[in-house]
Amino acid sequence: MTHQNIKKFSLALVGIIAFVLPLVLRSPTYLHILVLLYFYAYLTTSWNLVGGFAGVLPLGHAAFVGIGAYTSTILFLQYGISPWIGMIVGSILATIVGVLIGLPTLKMRGAYFALATIAFSEGVRVMIENIDFLGPFKLNGPRGLLIPPLNTGLANFLFVGKEPYYYIILIMLIMALAFTYFISRSKLGYYLNAGGEEPEAAMALGVNVARAKLIAMAMSCFLTALAGTFYAQFTLYIHPRSIISLDLSFEIAFIALIGGRGSIAGPVLGALLLRPVSDFSRIYFGATLPGLHLVIFGVVLVLVMIYQPRGLQEPLTRAFNKLLDRFAVKTTMEDKK
Amino acid sequence: MIYILEDAINGILMGSIYGLTALGLTIIFGVLKVINFAHGSLLMVGMYVALWVVSFSGLHPYLALIVVVPVMYLFGYCLQDVIIKPIFKAEKDVREPITVIVVTTGIWYILDNLTLLIFGPQYRNLPDNPLKGKMLEIGDMMISVPKLWGFIAAVSTAAAVYWYFQKTRTGRAIRATSLDREAASLMGINQYKIYNVAFGIGTATAGIAAVTLVPFYNIFPTVGVLFDIKGFIIVVLGGLGSMGGAILGGIIIGMIESIAPQFMTATWTEAIVYGLFLVVLFVKPSGLFGVKYDW
Amino acid sequence: MKILEVNALVKDFGGLRAIDTLDLVIEQGQILGLIGPNGAGKSTAFNCIAGVYPPSKGDIIFSGKKINGWKPWNLCKNGLARTFQIVKPFSSKSVLYNVMVGSFVNTDKKDVAEEKALKVLNSLHFEDKKDIKAGNLTIADRKRLEIARALATEPKLLLLDEVMAGLRPAEIDELVQIIQNLRDSGITIFLIEHIMRAIMALSDRIVVIHFGKKIAEGIPEKVASDENVIKAYLGDEYVVS
Repeated sequence: MTHQNIKKFSLALVGIIAFVLPLVLRSPTYLHILVLLYFYAYLTTSWNLVGGFAGVLPLGHAAFVGIGAYTSTILFLQYGISPWIGMIVGSILATIVGVLIGLPTLKMRGAYFALATIAFSEGVRVMIENIDFLGPFKLNGPRGLLIPPLNTGLANFLFVGKEPYYYIILIMLIMALAFTYFISRSKLGYYLNAGGEEPEAAMALGVNVARAKLIAMAMSCFLTALAGTFYAQFTLYIHPRSIISLDLSFEIAFIALIGGRGSIAGPVLGALLLRPVSDFSRIYFGATLPGLHLVIFGVVLVLVMIYQPRGLQEPLTRAFNKLLDRFAVKTTMEDKK
Repeated sequence: MIYILEDAINGILMGSIYGLTALGLTIIFGVLKVINFAHGSLLMVGMYVALWVVSFSGLHPYLALIVVVPVMYLFGYCLQDVIIKPIFKAEKDVREPITVIVVTTGIWYILDNLTLLIFGPQYRNLPDNPLKGKMLEIGDMMISVPKLWGFIAAVSTAAAVYWYFQKTRTGRAIRATSLDREAASLMGINQYKIYNVAFGIGTATAGIAAVTLVPFYNIFPTVGVLFDIKGFIIVVLGGLGSMGGAILGGIIIGMIESIAPQFMTATWTEAIVYGLFLVVLFVKPSGLFGVKYDW
Repeated sequence: MKILEVNALVKDFGGLRAIDTLDLVIEQGQILGLIGPNGAGKSTAFNCIAGVYPPSKGDIIFSGKKINGWKPWNLCKNGLARTFQIVKPFSSKSVLYNVMVGSFVNTDKKDVAEEKALKVLNSLHFEDKKDIKAGNLTIADRKRLEIARALATEPKLLLLDEVMAGLRPAEIDELVQIIQNLRDSGITIFLIEHIMRAIMALSDRIVVIHFGKKIAEGIPEKVASDENVIKAYLGDEYVVS
């Protein structure tokens, strides 16, 4: 088998395992943890489009999750519009907002962009906390919105068990990864990488860096808001502090940076490593050692940035390739025998 | 009318303390070109240190400065030297090292949550605090005494740091590095040493801010976050890297926070502050006072 | 036919006049050399033409179009490419990736861009290094990469900013040969260079600037013996007359 084939084979294997996992794993707790893991991997993959490829540091993506969640939930609760449609509406809204924020800030250097996204996200949270009714739309201020689990079914994006949610977020994740893969190999991907690394050189080579970044921002916001609707339908309760929190924005960035921003596997890898830490430390030490998982996050982040600034995907890919080399050598030797 | 005047004065006083917390942020940015996300956490550490010093020694709260300032200077110096410097060196060619910003975020998470783990989430206050609730009566107005001292501390700290940067040899080396780190290192200035010193000074000013806050503010593990976000807003309003701008930006925020609640629900003032920040960022990213930086 | 015309170009930075009423003409297919002592304003002139700085006064006309204030990427799309004095490779990417960024200018398809990039790499005898990370290249190869990327945009006019600085003599000779080949393939070249041997051998005409002003212009032999030029380079006291 060639390397390429082994890689394809292992990728397919991972995919198959992901699809049959719920059949084996019957515990709702574990399924819940997995759903959240995929949810974070999906969010980070979306973040990666702008935070990874375009070389800027957005720290307010929770706002777009919130816009997606609130839009579809309001349309569903007040007008009975299916969350599937609300999902698209929310994403379009998030894209417009993202472009409006990105238009002035993406031209500036990174520090300003990072601060602007934080302030924007906090601003959105404070607004929603202070508004009960925005025109005809009921935001319900700090109390948030509750989705009653009635009329379950695919059309209403409401299910009794966790398995349907599992498959929905898994498919969303696979689609986002495929999209990222496609973008990274397209002209836009080349332009984003070039503009992120050396903007002046990129401009001289015909790249409108600010426009490329803006397109990436728009796509990232669209995908991020889709996950907002998923989150609302999965947890059935959204309120400003849970969904538009800086903690969420930062966790997305941390996962990407530890896994390896700008790479396709990085976000998934980061989520696989960090989410269990967070979930299990909360389950086992939540009462006795609050904040333990955040200390671990911080330490891991600092260590990774010092020793592997491009994230953990780089050494792991190298190790995997080495393994393949040895494997390939072995098989050819056996063939000779 | 008298209430608005009273609020305005207390707003200026509180705002100058905000400015003092942002001063270190702007010094560190000016020299290292890095936004120190851990700055609020450093302030928090300073508050805990001040609390211990006062609790153990029984000294007047302001005398804690004698211990807090050198401790915080050393803490910042070592933090930069041990954790941030290696990353700077690894990313020498990168003009704007995002990884350094990220590492300061990591430090923020570690400091805040380690404090939470060790000392728990409860609010703490100074024991037998001589400044508690002390007011100065001027006519019909009531002015908070600890805030007045905070104002004095803010202005004199800014003036002292400014003097240090203008007049001393190290200060001039720091300014040279902030203008052009390559040229400075060609002139024989060790830029990493300068980064250490600048980070130390920035952290020490956070220590001064902590001492002025302790007599009238609750101490808890995440207290820094409040000042962190305010600090970011202040330094952008005042112009990233400008020391005078930091104090003035702080005063603007303080006045909005104290006067606006006369006209609207208090929770809305926060929204106004964020709105103002975004407007300034979009319209005049160099800050209200027009500091020119290479953006 | 004039491909580039600079009329009375002025560029001020604050109170400092970096370029003072500079006139330049480059004919199609020529190589024009721009020389001058350090700080004479050569790179500033380049940056004005390449759209990095807008000119304070004067006109820049490229292929019959006034290009004052055009953005660098639009100039590149219209056939004006440049290299940087301080090389700026996309360090974490391969040589091929770097060059493909340039060749994407005239196509949206990855295969086409890759094919064009490989062609450029071949013409520069660079194809054996296509998979090396740009950050791991030697100085000479980084300079060559700068040229390769610019060529991949299929320019009509190529601005070369000190591409030979820091190279060894053998590498310089190779680069001189490459630049001559480029000219023979129909690309007009405007170069700044400190290596006199190279610029004398390459240029059809040379312009000398000093303190932002043009002090001499003409064929290499004439410029080399010009009194003003010698003064500018060596200072007044060295002039024997």
